This record gives sequence, C-alpha cells and structure tokens, in this order.
Amino acid sequence: MTALYTLSDVTLTVPGRTLLHGLDLSLPSGKVTGLIGHNGSGKSTLLKLLSRQTQPTRGSITFAERPLPDWPTRALARHLAYLPQHPPAAEGLSVRELAALGRYPWHGALGRPGSEDRNATDAAIAACGLDGLAARRVDTLSGGEAQRAWLAMLIAQEAGTLLLDEPISALDIAHQVEVLTLVQSLSRARGRSVVVVLHDLNMAARYCDHIVALKSGRLVFEGSPDELMTPDRLHDIYGARMEVMTRADGSPVALPV
Amino acid sequence: MKLVLPLALLLSVLLWALAAPSGLPDRFAPEALSLDELLMLYGHMPRGAMALVAGGCLGLSGALLQVVLRNPIADPSTLGISSGAQLALVAVTVLFPGLLGWGRAPVALAGAGAAAALVMGMGALRGFHPVTMVIAGMLVSLFASSLAGALTLAQGQYLFSLVVWTGGSLVQTGWGPVLALALVLALGGGLAALMARPLSVLGLEAESARALGLSVGRVRALAVVLACVLAASVSAAVGLVAFVGLAAPALARALGARRPGQILALAPLTGAVLLSLVDGLVLTAAGYGTEMFPTGAVTGLIGGPLLLWLLPRLRATPPPAPDAHLPRKARPLRRVGLIALATVVLLGLLLMLGRTPDGWSLLDRESLALFLPNRLPRLAGAAAAGGLLALAGAALQRVTANPLASPEVLGVSGGAAIGYAGVLFLAAAPSAVALTSGAALGGALSMAVLTGVVLGRDARPERLLLAGVAVSSLAAALLSILMAAGTMKSFAVLAWLSGSASALTGAGAALLVALLALACAAAVLMARWLTILPLGPEVARALGLPLRGATLCVVALAALATGAATVLVGPLSFVGLMAPHLARRCGLAQAVPHLLGSAALGAALMLAADFGARMASFPYDLPLGLFASLLGTPWLIWLMLRRPT
Repeated sequence: MTALYTLSDVTLTVPGRTLLHGLDLSLPSGKVTGLIGHNGSGKSTLLKLLSRQTQPTRGSITFAERPLPDWPTRALARHLAYLPQHPPAAEGLSVRELAALGRYPWHGALGRPGSEDRNATDAAIAACGLDGLAARRVDTLSGGEAQRAWLAMLIAQEAGTLLLDEPISALDIAHQVEVLTLVQSLSRARGRSVVVVLHDLNMAARYCDHIVALKSGRLVFEGSPDELMTPDRLHDIYGARMEVMTRADGSPVALPV
Repeated sequence: MKLVLPLALLLSVLLWALAAPSGLPDRFAPEALSLDELLMLYGHMPRGAMALVAGGCLGLSGALLQVVLRNPIADPSTLGISSGAQLALVAVTVLFPGLLGWGRAPVALAGAGAAAALVMGMGALRGFHPVTMVIAGMLVSLFASSLAGALTLAQGQYLFSLVVWTGGSLVQTGWGPVLALALVLALGGGLAALMARPLSVLGLEAESARALGLSVGRVRALAVVLACVLAASVSAAVGLVAFVGLAAPALARALGARRPGQILALAPLTGAVLLSLVDGLVLTAAGYGTEMFPTGAVTGLIGGPLLLWLLPRLRATPPPAPDAHLPRKARPLRRVGLIALATVVLLGLLLMLGRTPDGWSLLDRESLALFLPNRLPRLAGAAAAGGLLALAGAALQRVTANPLASPEVLGVSGGAAIGYAGVLFLAAAPSAVALTSGAALGGALSMAVLTGVVLGRDARPERLLLAGVAVSSLAAALLSILMAAGTMKSFAVLAWLSGSASALTGAGAALLVALLALACAAAVLMARWLTILPLGPEVARALGLPLRGATLCVVALAALATGAATVLVGPLSFVGLMAPHLARRCGLAQAVPHLLGSAALGAALMLAADFGARMASFPYDLPLGLFASLLGTPWLIWLMLRRPT
C-alpha cells in the first residue's frame, strides 16, 4: 500500500493557541479515510492543511510523493479536490454550471472547454443523481440536493483524491446514507482516495476503511474501524463511556452508556 | 499599560496649558479682566473642557454601537450618523435659517436619526453583518456629503463658515455649549450604566440573548438611539469630529477592557483623552494665532490607519446571503445586446434632442452640425464613464461577493480627489493636464494601498472592502483639511467633486470610449475567475485558481476603470453600484452577461443623468455626478431596505 499523504511533525499555531501538535502520520492511497475526534480536536484544521488551504507553522506534508508546497496550483487541483464544511450559496448558478466549474483546473481561465470537459460534467451530474435537476438553480435546491450539486463539482474535477469536510452534517439520515454510499463507491469502483471529516462515529465506522482520530490536536488512534470500536479506545478519544454492540451483519455500533 | 491613560491626560493638559493665552484668572468679573484673561476664561478654558466632554460623548457613542452591533468597526462616522447630522445642519442653515432659532441640537438629531434608521434598516435585513453595515454607512455618508456639497455649491457665500463647521472646530466663545454637552454626557452615561447588563447579554449572539429572556429589539433600539443622541449633540456643538468613536473603544480594548461593561466605562475616558490630546497638538501647531485646520478634520486622519490596523482583528464572517428570488434569463446575451442597442439609440436621440426657450425640438441638419463637436464628446464621454464605473462595480461585487461593493467604496475616487486638490492648492496656476495627472497619481496611490492589502497575508474579500473604506475616509479627512482653507480653490475642488462632463474634449471622450472597450474585453477574459470568486476563497483555492493574482487583476481592472472615469468626469455617482443591481434584476446572472449588461446599463444611466443635469434647471447645467447620485441613491436605499428572501 503506497502512502497518499506523509506528514512529519506537522504543527499549526495561531496566536495564543496550538491547534495541531507535531503530527506524524501517513494516510493510505485508494481508501476512504475517516478523520474523527471531539469538537475542536483539530480534524477540520488538519483537512485544511491537507488541502493546502492553510500552511503548517512547522513540519512537512508530502502529497503523492511530492512536497505539498511544491505543487503548482492548477496541477494540485487536478489531483486534489476539496469541499469546505459550509459551501457558499452559489447565487445565480445552475447545477450544470456549478458542476462545470470543477473543470477549471483542466481548461484554466481561457482554455476552450472540449468534449472531454462536457463528458466529465455530464458523468458527474449523473453520478450524483442530478440528471433531472441539471437546469435548476443551486440556490433553489434543498440542502441535500445542494450538497450533491457541490459533490458533482468535485467529481467533475476528476481528481484522484477527495477531501470532504463534514459533508453530511446538514443532511437527514436518508441523505447521509446516500452521500456516503456515493463517496464509498467512488473509492471502491474508481480507486479514488477520500479523506472525510465525520462527526458521526457510527457512520465513520461503517463507511471508512481507515480511521484517524485526533484529540486536542494530537493523534490518539490510527487503524481499522474494527480496532476503533472498543469501549476503551472510544473513551480515550471522546472522554465518554461508550457501549459497543454488534449488529446482525456483524458490524459494530457504539452508543453512549 | 495602566499608566498610559493618566500620562496621556497629563500630556494633553500640558499642551493645553502651553497654548494658554494667560494664567488662570483669579477673579471672574469680566470688566476687571485683561483681554488675554478674557480669552482664557471664555475661550481657552471652555475649549479644553469641550475637547474632554465631546471626546467622552463620542467615545461612549462608539462603545454603545460597537457593543450592541457586536462590530468592532462601528462608530458614528463609519455608520453615517455624523454625516446625517451634518447634512441636516447644512440644509437648515442654507434653506431654512429660521429653524435654527430653536437650537442646532434638534436639527442635528433629526439628521442623525434619519441616517441611523437607514443604516440600521439595511443592516437588520442582513443580520447586522459588520462590514456590510460599514459599507451601508459609507453609502449614506457619501450621499449626505454630496447633498451637502450641492447645497454649499448653490449658496457659495456660506461656504467658508460651513466648511469650517463641517471640519469640527473646537473654538469656543463661552461656557454654554460645554455645559449643555456635559449634561448630555452625564445623562447618557447614566443610561448606559443602567443598560450595561442587558448589553452584555446582547454581546452573545442575538438568538442566545433572546433565549435568555432579553427583548433584543428593544435594547438594541434604545442603545442605538442613545448613541445617536450623543453623536448628534456633539455634531450640533462642534461639528463633525470623525473617528473618535471608533478609536476610543479600540483603545479601551487595547488597555485591557474585555467585557461590554468595561468597554462602556473606559471608552468615554479614552475618547476624552484622545480628543483633548489631538486638540492640544492642533493648538500647539497653531500657536497663539488663528488655527490652521479644525481639530475634527485632524481626528479624521486617524480613521483610515485605524481601520487598517483593526482589519486583522475583525473576525471572518460570511457575507450576507444574496437575494435568491432574482430572475435568471435563459438567453442572457441576447438581452445584453438589446440593452446595448437601446443605449446607443438613447445616445443618438440625446444628440438630436434640443431644448429651446419655446420647447422641445429635434435638431435640424445645420444646428446638428453646429452642436455636434460640443455635444458628442460630452455625451459619449459621460456614457463611457458610466460604463466604466458600472463595470468596475460589477467586478467588485463579484470578487467580494458583497452586493454593496462599489467603486466609491474602493477609495480610488477619494485618492484621485486628493491628488486633484493637492495640485490645485500647491501650484499657483495649475494647467488642466497637471490637474488630471494629479488626480491620476492620487488614484494610483490608493490603488497601491489596496494592492498591498490584496497581497497581504490573508486576502479576505471583506478586508479588501474595508481597506477601501479606510482609504476613502483618509482621503475625505485630508480633503476637509484642504477645504478648510476656505479660498476660491476650495470652491473649485467642490465643483470638481460634484462631477461634470461639460469640460470633456473630443480626445478625452475618445480615450474613455477606448478604455471602456478595453475594460470590457479584459472583463470577458476574466469571466471564469469572476464566476468562481463569488464562491469564496476556499472554493477558489480548491479549484486551483491563482487567488491572489486573480483578485489583484480584478481589483486593478476596477481601479483603473474607476480612476479613468473619475479623472475625466469627477468622482461621484452611484452608477457603479446601481447598474450591476439593475443588470441582475434584468435576469443577467452569469458572469459575462452580468458584466457587459452592467456596463451598458451604466452608460444608459449616466446618459439619463446627464440629460437630467442639463434640463433640470435649463439653461444652466447642474453637476452631472451630483445629479446622478441624487437620483440614484434613494432608489438604491429603497433596494437595500427590501427584504432579501
């Protein structure tokens, strides 16, 4: 298994506070990696560093065997797609136009969009089940539909790696399952790597292949979902007693005691 | 840190004492005093007290606004309250001097109240978003000062006293105003103390405050009214003293005040010491003689740098949600074509249409040939300037994702005005070319400041806007210091500020038209950036957009377009803000149609304004920019007051 990301001694300080303390970590390629932790544990911060939205104060990040700061802007966007936690209101844009923005890294500011770009956009819209809504305006969609429109933009970007910051936090259960199933299938069927910040422990255990847990800016766990789902581990991470039960299909679920 | 305040107070008392005309008189019978002692008792001493009391009022007013709006950049000047008071006083002085018999305070209060109501109304619909509030305030102040400028232009003989008053001179001729203002401060302070606890609860989010059982609306309204009364009383007593209300709470925070109660208690003190210190410096600079410039204008100089200093402290808040109900046309480019065609037809019609003492008529061939060399440059130039401003406005609204962004807020016009005025005041008999280059240089300097902000550590769009506001306010302060000289040159600056296309030459107009064509082409080339940038810096970065470079290019385009239009036809008009909104309302949603449609609509609006300016008081011309903003702003304010759904 090759490493997608290698982090060494990654530290981020803001005036008066250290958000991440010397993380040494490597994330696997071609898998869905879940970032979990309590509120303020630094999981979103870590994702921003991985997407180069912010730079670490100290330490180095290597993405696809190349130091992250060395990547040219557009080349990085062709390999790495990032969805912020609160996507903005896309005023006046249609679903198709939003998805087509994902092609920017490929054709740039002035390049003519070709058939490849159109096909990628169409495929992304279809993959997100938005065929009937392609002409609708994003700002008139429901929360779940808008979230899928943004995912369509990410998919149209055709990047090998997707970074998603709490993509299901604003959705109801049915849409949560729908979005995570889509993400999982992107990884399984197309070999994409996904790093996803999740609030919901059971969703993370169910849909991720690999789990990284942070606590107060430090790495406390790294391993498979099965290794994660023990009462002691969960107490280490969340500081709360949890009971782990086994469902009929053998997968574990954790509930607070 | 604890010693800073007493030391500053000591220094200001020392400066005040050094400038004193005599020692403290030991008897108080006017007939027994020497002239110097009279000056001391009825001029210098009340002046010192006035600085303290007015500073205290402004400090308290600013602290109230900042606490109640949870906005570290709110103050009577940034929210347009002081300008509203100023406009009311100027209007009454010029139009209904009789009303002043009841005192200046009620007039000032009415103006301040109206301005505050407008800004609060616009803010309330947008969640009191800090930067949007300040931009709304800036719009109201620009409108108020353009109206005040028009009145001053119309009544030239009042110019000198009005300008000096506007600048906030602290010269006193007795104890009456000081005592009255002290009473206001004492009452206001008492009320603020009573409100301290509800205000600290309001320091939380409005929702949480409501959940704690607080009547949010009532407390907010009461605090804003109190802040208005304090600011308006200062306006009535000494005129516009800018930015003390912004600086005082900031200083209080720097001295360690954190909780709302502490800020409310400390800000009046820091405000009093600050104004008194500035006045001490002005007195020292002036010596015993007449003062060179009013104290209020000097405090205005603090505003720009202070806002720039506060920029990094402003927490990042998402801009207000855009209107979702705006239409979207399926074939927008066809509509842009129609608008452009209509603009050209309008231009042709206005070329031919004439007004004679008998009525309206279309010009015949001979008179057309006679009028054309004069009329074509003027109309084409005005239209091109309108197009450039509108294009700049549309680009800025997209890059900042803020519907209130406009070229006026960018500070380029302000810089150009300073350059123009600077050349006019420094050179004995400046040529038109020198004046134009001066304006261009001033605009370029403001642009350099903005570029610095864009290239700075974190190019958040709202910081760009606020930096523009800072540059504008600095320019306004410098301008009012220059104007305080009160010569014929001040009049020339005022005339230029109100904007006119009548002096345009054929070459100038051709240059503007060529620039408009170039700017449109550049905007089309940037269209993809301008589609992505409204989605915010995170998305733009994630899509591989060269964020700084792209922002810089758009800002440079907007600044150049604004600069060119400003240099040739004067700075003021709200075309740059209006046209993009109109274009959006016409259903032009995507970047290219929005930008081009804005430019065409901007040209049409400016043509209409020019026609109005020529015809409203035929056969005399009114200033074009002034006319455009007087027509446009009420519509704009109505637009801003409508509820975004």
